[in-house]
This record gives sequence, structure tokens and C-alpha cells, in this order.
Amino acid sequence: MPKPHRVVLDRVSGYADEAAAFMRRRRHVRRPFARVYRANGSSVDHAAESETGAALLAAAGRLLALAATKVER
Amino acid sequence: MSQETRASDTAGILAHVPDRQLAAHSLDHLMELSPEMRGGAILEADAVLAATSDEAGWGDSAAALLAAADADGESAEQVHVATEAGEVFVVREGNLTAVAVTERFVLASLMAFDMRATLRDLAAGGPATDRAAAGAN
Repeated sequence: MPKPHRVVLDRVSGYADEAAAFMRRRRHVRRPFARVYRANGSSVDHAAESETGAALLAAAGRLLALAATKVER
Repeated sequence: MSQETRASDTAGILAHVPDRQLAAHSLDHLMELSPEMRGGAILEADAVLAATSDEAGWGDSAAALLAAADADGESAEQVHVATEAGEVFVVREGNLTAVAVTERFVLASLMAFDMRATLRDLAAGGPATDRAAAGAN
């Protein structure tokens, strides 16, 4: 019979492995998205193929490019 | 209206108009709070108060993003766009708008909370820590 602390260690290691695998899968499957939240608490997801989604992703791309260029203030 | 009344009214109005220096300070404070941030800007209506780089570019791109978000006729309060190169957040609070570009997989709710708190602090006269320090002096 394993010592009690071994049981706890094995269980923690198991959870950590599960979490790491979940994060790896999440990074692989996550696709670009555009989400708009309204004042009434509702939110709308715009597909990248839609007109609004494409406009949002294009504007976001320009902002990402701007963030890559820094100037001293 | 007496001059005294007018002067106090004007001071009251001006107290709620954040200046560019204060906005720049708030933006720096936001970037300290959020180490995943690569860059950002704070706008009042369409005017850029502060930005981490080319102000005109940030203003134009933020306006384009908000125009797309408002395209269905309803005003957007918050926008979150995630791409493979990074993530973009836009938060509106009253007349002020904060734009932030971050690394991928940042915690969205935390980022939005920090941005909203920054805008509220700015509308109230700057970061809360600075106001506390000013009060102590």
C-alpha cells in the first residue's frame, strides 16, 4: 500500500497533467474571433467570413501592427 | 450669473475633462497593471488623448474598429478581437474609450476590468494611487 503522501502527490501530478493537456488543446483549436458586447449585457460573435467580422479583424490587424512600433513618450 | 458662480461652474466642468498628460499617465498606469499589454491608446470621443506610438494611426484604426462594431445600429460597450498575432480590446466608458493590444490568451475579463477602472479613474482625475498621494501631501 503506497504511503499517504504518495497518493496525494500522484493525484496532484495527475491534475497538473490534465490541465497542461487541456491548455495545449485549447491553444491548438482556438481560432480568431471577434466579439462585441452591448450595454444591455448581450454579446455577439462575428464570424471572420462575415462583413462585420472581416472589418473588425482588419482593424484589429492594423492596431496589432501599431503596437509593434513603439516611440519614446 | 455672478462671476463667482460662473468661475465655480467652469472649474466643475474642467475638472471632468481629462487632459493629455493625465491620459498619458493613466495609459502608463494601465500598462503597469497589465504586463501582457503591448500597446494602447485612450480616446475622448474621436480625439486621441494618449497612445503608445503613432497617435493618428491609433485614432484611425480604433475608429474603424468601433464603426464596424456599431454597424448593426447598436452602440458597442466592449469589443474583443483575438487573432493569431495577438488580441485587441476596446472598452467604452462614458465619453472615454480605451484600446489595448495584448499577447495571446490573456485573461479577457481581467483586462476589461483594468481598462474600465483606468477610464473611471481618468474621468475622476487620474489614477487612484496618485489622488491618494496628492491628498497626503
